Amino acid sequence: MSLDNILNNWSDYRKAAEEGGFYDPEGNHPYEHRWTMSINLDLCNGCNACSTACYAENNLAFVGKERFEKGHAMSWMRIERYWDDQDKDYPEKGASFLPMMCQQCGAATCEPVCPVAATYHTPDGLNAQVYNRCIGSRYCSNNCPYRVRYFNFYSYYDDAWPEPMQQQLNPDITVRDKGVMEKCTFCVQRIRSAKDKAQMEDRPVRDGEVMPACAQSCPTSAIVFGDTLDENSAISKLWKKHQVKRNVTQQHKENPELRGYRIFEELNVDPSVMYLERVREEV
Amino acid sequence: MMVNEKDINEQIAWAKINTDVLRSMENPRKSYWVAVAVCLAMVACAMLAEYIQYTVGMGVSNLNNPHMWDMYIATFVFWIGMSHSGTLLSAILHLLHADWRKPIYRFAEAMTTFSLLTAGLFPIIHLGRVWNMYWVLPYVSDRGIWPNFRSPLVWDAFAISTYLSASMLFLFIGMIPDLAICRDNTTGWRKKLYTALSLGWEGNDRQWRNFRKVYLLMACFLIPLAVSVHSIVSADFAMSIMPGWHVTSFPPYFVAGALYSGCAAIITLFIMLRYFFRFEEYMTLPIMEKTAKLTFAIAMVWTYLNLIEFASVWYGHDMYNKELLIAKATGPYAWVFWTMLFCGSVVPFALAIRKLRRHMPTMFVVSILLNVGMFFERWMIVAPTLSLSHEPWQWDVMWGSIVQWALVFGSFGWFGLLFLVFVKVFPSVSMYEVKEMVFHRNMTAGQRDVLRMTDHAKPVKQTPGVEGA
Amino acid sequence: MSKRRILALFGDFAEAHDAIADIRRNEVPGVTVDDITMKSPIEHPEVEEVLGDRPVHIQKFTLFGAIFGLVFGFLFLASAQATFLVQPQGGKAVIPLPANFVLVYEMVIFFAVWMTFLSFLFLSGLFKKRSRLYSEKVSLDQVGLMLEIDESIAEPLRDLFKKHKVLEIREEVIQ
Repeated sequence: MSLDNILNNWSDYRKAAEEGGFYDPEGNHPYEHRWTMSINLDLCNGCNACSTACYAENNLAFVGKERFEKGHAMSWMRIERYWDDQDKDYPEKGASFLPMMCQQCGAATCEPVCPVAATYHTPDGLNAQVYNRCIGSRYCSNNCPYRVRYFNFYSYYDDAWPEPMQQQLNPDITVRDKGVMEKCTFCVQRIRSAKDKAQMEDRPVRDGEVMPACAQSCPTSAIVFGDTLDENSAISKLWKKHQVKRNVTQQHKENPELRGYRIFEELNVDPSVMYLERVREEV
Repeated sequence: MMVNEKDINEQIAWAKINTDVLRSMENPRKSYWVAVAVCLAMVACAMLAEYIQYTVGMGVSNLNNPHMWDMYIATFVFWIGMSHSGTLLSAILHLLHADWRKPIYRFAEAMTTFSLLTAGLFPIIHLGRVWNMYWVLPYVSDRGIWPNFRSPLVWDAFAISTYLSASMLFLFIGMIPDLAICRDNTTGWRKKLYTALSLGWEGNDRQWRNFRKVYLLMACFLIPLAVSVHSIVSADFAMSIMPGWHVTSFPPYFVAGALYSGCAAIITLFIMLRYFFRFEEYMTLPIMEKTAKLTFAIAMVWTYLNLIEFASVWYGHDMYNKELLIAKATGPYAWVFWTMLFCGSVVPFALAIRKLRRHMPTMFVVSILLNVGMFFERWMIVAPTLSLSHEPWQWDVMWGSIVQWALVFGSFGWFGLLFLVFVKVFPSVSMYEVKEMVFHRNMTAGQRDVLRMTDHAKPVKQTPGVEGA
Repeated sequence: MSKRRILALFGDFAEAHDAIADIRRNEVPGVTVDDITMKSPIEHPEVEEVLGDRPVHIQKFTLFGAIFGLVFGFLFLASAQATFLVQPQGGKAVIPLPANFVLVYEMVIFFAVWMTFLSFLFLSGLFKKRSRLYSEKVSLDQVGLMLEIDESIAEPLRDLFKKHKVLEIREEVIQ
């Protein structure tokens, strides 16, 4: 908290104003990692294994049927079902699934609106949510186009895990109390332990060393996760293969057949999740 | 004949002004106590609801994933808006030398302060962890943690605390000469209270000179402040990226809506005070007419801003915004939407009819309807956007639970209680300013004083020594 | 020589105004217009024509408050933002000028208003014990003129007041 600190950060501001962002690639604060995800909708069969795994991994509360119906569910990872009923004879053919979770946006709309800075951008490119700091103004959720932030409307822990279910709670992360916002973290506890292990062994984090619970449990391996700063990672190759770029509001692809796209990228939020469009039979 | 109708009886004795206003603090009609009882009951309901919500969690209000704000924030905006016309009457009309404001500005100014005190409760009530609300304030913490100054909610905290202190000071300063009158005419606890609050005011020329200056300066600061406060409140919405919220015209739209609902509330309270305290001689029909005309003008501004907002959405042809507008007009919220337009844009035409303007029961109903429209407007700003945002999976319509509505209605009781206690304890008609109004009007009407003054003013230009020799 | 404080109450502002004008014309030697304190139930800006310009200094304090709010407000916000370490958000600057503009605007008004109020309290001589001559009629409908004079001038001054239809004269010996 020295004057030094103020002056240094002041010059950071200058750099930011001139170069268009705090995280300039050659500046003082480059990203350490850039965790991103790719979800192949052609492989997704809507089995909800990812959602279930997420509940188990992240101590998500089971709210019960009534509260679920009221919109109080806590499913960080949810499978959205959409119906395209153009085919009258076989309406099932129109069913499609969309796994939706926090998109860890690069220019997240939730961050600047939080009055107490409880949600912020980490050097890993994640939107972190600091539960202890959150006062529950819920502005972040209101400003999230994906609506993937979940609020603890009650003290769910009272009845979410009846004996002996509390024994399956993950000791690596907390159980949240009422009045706190929470959301998908890309399993930040797994990222943390992988980074710690790599640091102890004095090496960079290897590709595939971090796997979030949803990717791990997906029976069809529709979810690929990794660090896009690592040129050789599987996820980097996927983004390149589908010619999906970050920091744009519209993708210009050489080959329009390529299936990669990002949801609501036209809102300039720069989501970190790439979806691969479902291949449909031409009628 | 009607053209010459006076705003106030200009021959009224100053002693009568004192007695009438002081009497109002002693013996209101029975209906005053009925109103107090109703307000107390409403506050009790709200406190019970808040107790439940505090202990059980926000879920009891029926808020859910897409509807994270809904009625609480709509009510917050409503009350903030209500606070604006007190400033309009006391500050803008003061600068414009519109002296008809003088008998009615005191309660309008009190309305400003109390509706701010009511509005300020809602951002607190709606917090998930109310006990940590002070984290929004920029205090020096040993952990080096600050609020996020980019958040419009922090701007709100700054703006509301500034507006609250400015309007409270303005109300208080404007009341000091009247408190001195009260001090000189009361006994017992009232005497002690007014002696402390009047700060030793004795009406000497030094005090009056400084008083005039301070009043002018405060008025000058209050006007840009009032505009900025509601602009900042509108920034809560306009700074987001949500369809229906991210609207460029929101700041002026909010300010116009604020003045509108505030003026309507002034009419309501005007009629109530006139009845409770038998203020027929001060809150006169010509003053009511002027207030009504002002309200009508603002209503038309509001209507215009509404229309250009619709037009810009319609011709802007942004998919999300357009769908939302259509859904507002035809979806589950349609009845709210059309009631809002009816009450906000059609009902005010009653204010354009002279007969109705002068008929107190009609005006009472009209003013209530206008505010119903304005409440619905705030609801229509907040709720449909949450119901129909970008993500179709989370489309949902939510009607608040009894807890939520109890808190919303309770806020009216809370405001009413503060207001009713204020008008009982403090003079709700500004005695010294009514005297000023009468004095100056007499001066301009009868030329006698003016002539004498200019005659005596001449020696000022000369040096006294020459005159004396 | 003993001193005396005298309060003359007039039923009409015009009469008081005339009395002041007479004093200004030096009709009672030994009393100048600067000795007069006028007490009135309402504000009389027009009295300055005879009472002379008496300065008001509040606006200087208001200006000071506004400038303090501007400078302190911005420095406070900027230091807070710069010391708040983990604040990179969505590619925005550490010290965001648009947000700070909004906040500084409020702080200018906040400090200006409080400085205005506080300077008013002190500059207008409030918080003093009211003089024993204070008449409650001043807060009702009478205009009072208060002077501190030497004993010898008291008589001609009383005559002058009587000439202008004074309603009541209160006096006390102060030395």
